Amino acid sequence: MMPSSPLNLRRAIIWIGRLVLAGIFIYAGYAKLTMGMRPRPPLGVALSFFALQVDSYRILPSWGVKLVAHTLPFAEIGLGLLLLIGWRFRIWATLVTLIMLGFFAAVVRSYALGMQINCGCFATPEPLTIKTVIRDGALLALALLMTIFAFIEARRPHPWTAPEKA
Amino acid sequence: MKHRGILAGAVLQSILVAFAVLSTLAAPQYSPDIPDVDPHKAFGSKNAPVTMEVFSDFQCPACKTLFTTTNRRLMEDYVSSGKVYLIHRDFPLPMHAHSRVAARYARAAAQLGKGESVEQALFQNQEKWEQNGDVDGTVAAVLSAAEMTKVRALAKGNSLDTAIDKDYALGQTYRVNQTPTTVFHCKGQIYPYSGVMTYDILKQFLEQLLAQK
Repeated sequence: MMPSSPLNLRRAIIWIGRLVLAGIFIYAGYAKLTMGMRPRPPLGVALSFFALQVDSYRILPSWGVKLVAHTLPFAEIGLGLLLLIGWRFRIWATLVTLIMLGFFAAVVRSYALGMQINCGCFATPEPLTIKTVIRDGALLALALLMTIFAFIEARRPHPWTAPEKA
Repeated sequence: MKHRGILAGAVLQSILVAFAVLSTLAAPQYSPDIPDVDPHKAFGSKNAPVTMEVFSDFQCPACKTLFTTTNRRLMEDYVSSGKVYLIHRDFPLPMHAHSRVAARYARAAAQLGKGESVEQALFQNQEKWEQNGDVDGTVAAVLSAAEMTKVRALAKGNSLDTAIDKDYALGQTYRVNQTPTTVFHCKGQIYPYSGVMTYDILKQFLEQLLAQK
């Protein structure tokens, strides 16, 4: 099998996806935990405030809202770090893509229903507009490409591996 | 393996730098003294540990939902017990033709001590008066003839418009751009939130605010 070039388009997109999505996920999780405030509010306050934002989408029951609000910020930071480190990359890339798909579906639904709410993406009062839909759509597309290309590239020998001896 | 070690080190260092930069970028948000509080539009104790300013528009459906569901329980459980000081702020959105008139009537009625019943009437009959613009008739249905005469006289004056404009300007300082928006004040910090709140989730947030030492 032909080894892939270290500088092909697929590898470039995988790296761009890793860096961009990891940066955004880590920042989003950190912002939710600190609310962009100084002094930093107590963790319980930050998480219960984020629960208000999750609730504003009117998708989940109360227990689901609390579950998402108390786990998502930590999951975002963890997944961001895992994308950067690259350990078991395809598993985390798939998970990130599924999460992005969930975000995108929630944002599109709320926009289509004309709901006047905040995105809650970065714990700032940012209204959910068509810009939010386009931004989330672009990030979802990047996550999808990154994941698909990661699976394709995994089937080819890595260009940096030593050639097999005859 | 050597490459991986260097890469992991670089990644870790980048993360630490990014966190340091983010920490310095985070703007301090201290609560200012709450200005221009109309005592007729504020409920509960001024010394309550949590203050909630609700920027609302009488013609907005989400404001109606907030008023008829969450606010009632909030009044019973937190405002009456002195835990929350609730301030109603008028934020009539320009896209709503009759919301400023409704705000005038509600303020006028509040000055006569009839604010609550008029707010209730305006929200409960929102679909009717937003079609025909009959704010006057909606308010008249819950007030006596004498009270209505006084309310009409007050609503015609400019003084109420000045108060409404002050509320609107205050909202803009909080970057309010939709209704309902609730601005929570606690321990010198402010937490702006836009949208309807389910009572259970709001309760959880208030309990966390009240539990702060």
